[in-house]
Amino acid sequence: MLEVRGLEAGYGKVQVLWGLDLQVADGEFVALIGANGAGKTTLLRTISGLIRPTSGTIRFRGAEITGRRPAEIVAQGIAHVPEARELFPLMTVQDNLELGAFARPAAWARAAQTLTEVYRLFPRLSDRRLQIAATLSGGEQQMVAIARALMSRPEVLMVDEPSHGLSPLMVQAVFAALREVSQSGVSVLLIEQNVRQSLRLAGRAYVMENGRIVLQGTGRDLLESPHVKEAYLRL
Amino acid sequence: MMDLFLQTLANALIQSGTYALASSGLALAVGVLHIVNFAHGEFLMVGAFVAYWLSVLAGIDPIVSLVPAGAVMFAASGVIYQASIRRVLLAPELNALLLTFGIGITLQNLAVLVFGATPRVVHTAYQLTAVTLGPVSVGVAPLITLIVSVALLAGMYAVLYRTGVGKSIRAVAQNRTGAHLVGLDVDRIYLLTFGIASALAAIAGAMVLVRIGASPHMGFGFVLKAFAIIVMAGLGNLTGVLWASLVLATAEAFVRTYVPGGGGAAEAVFFLLIFFTLVWRSWRTA
Repeated sequence: MLEVRGLEAGYGKVQVLWGLDLQVADGEFVALIGANGAGKTTLLRTISGLIRPTSGTIRFRGAEITGRRPAEIVAQGIAHVPEARELFPLMTVQDNLELGAFARPAAWARAAQTLTEVYRLFPRLSDRRLQIAATLSGGEQQMVAIARALMSRPEVLMVDEPSHGLSPLMVQAVFAALREVSQSGVSVLLIEQNVRQSLRLAGRAYVMENGRIVLQGTGRDLLESPHVKEAYLRL
Repeated sequence: MMDLFLQTLANALIQSGTYALASSGLALAVGVLHIVNFAHGEFLMVGAFVAYWLSVLAGIDPIVSLVPAGAVMFAASGVIYQASIRRVLLAPELNALLLTFGIGITLQNLAVLVFGATPRVVHTAYQLTAVTLGPVSVGVAPLITLIVSVALLAGMYAVLYRTGVGKSIRAVAQNRTGAHLVGLDVDRIYLLTFGIASALAAIAGAMVLVRIGASPHMGFGFVLKAFAIIVMAGLGNLTGVLWASLVLATAEAFVRTYVPGGGGAAEAVFFLLIFFTLVWRSWRTA
């Protein structure tokens, strides 16, 4: 469904991605792990159109979407939950969520229904629907960011470090929600530092180092891999 | 004594309407596009001249001309945005400052070249009449400009806070990356917002034409005062613009009325207000 081939991208003269290949199949849960600076976030930013790649292709459902603008990528059905969450800080939770469906007519038509669904997924947000986003806790803001992305009724959900800075209890809630999203048929591409948990959750996973994929396999295989154990699980 | 006080207040209220109209556009550009538009005053001047020539050549009332004046500047600002502003949005702020300063100087000198430097005035029947409310007497023309300003500002707030387009504009203002990620067409929203901001300036220009007149250099004084107002309001704070306009207009009116020889001093009041605002802000955050 989502297919990245030979992708190279970076910031100005600093190249970050060096010929990266990656695929996410329909309904699949894929984890992407790697150290800080490996290029995971750059990959997501390139897929969602915030950065233009210097070479390589990105295909979605067979059609090439390389270098398209973010608005077109969202309209295609790819949603990106960035690590910094990027909420609209002075708006209410509900306004933030509604804006998630705004740019995609098919999603806007069903916005009321989707809203009920995301409130069921995150009951905490339902209680805080009229609260200003900037006043929420970090975990709640993360929930809003994921819920806002879901409002566009995406076929692929890309989530960047959702556990970053959250309490263990919040991490559990966020991961449980991602599992539920995946079970509803949405493909998920998850970037995580929380390697053990994301590998357990994922059907398939990639290990990224220095802008390249160095290892891939099922989540279970990678959990047993000596390289992963040594470099990421510190056993 | 009380009569003079009330009359001064009325004058302040009228003036604050024009200030608020002229400053809201500037605040919109600062708040949404994050650029300081030094050409804003010249956009106001362009609006005044559009209304002036429509009045002279076609006999259209300058108040009615606020529509074509706004439309002309809306379209012109679209061209200016596509040709220049768009390219400096991501550059350091100084670039946008220099660019808009250059656009302003160009427009001002074009106006001198084409229209000459002589101030122009329009004559309408209602400029000579006044309404009297108890001790206060207000010219019909200034009163109309106040009503127009209030209506337009109310309209702008309604668009920003009650419509989908307004919500998109606020979203882009609050978080550009977030707006990209939910699929808003950020570039088009910038174009639209810059157009609205510029149209507001042009309409303010038509209002100034009715009350005072038009000249190629009229923009500079207004843009300086508009800066004072948005600094007082807090950069990009649209609601703040309303009370800041009221504060500046009231301070000017009272200096003009109660300070001996205050006519000249009133024009410097805005410096004092910027000064105190900035000192107070840094005091509070120190």
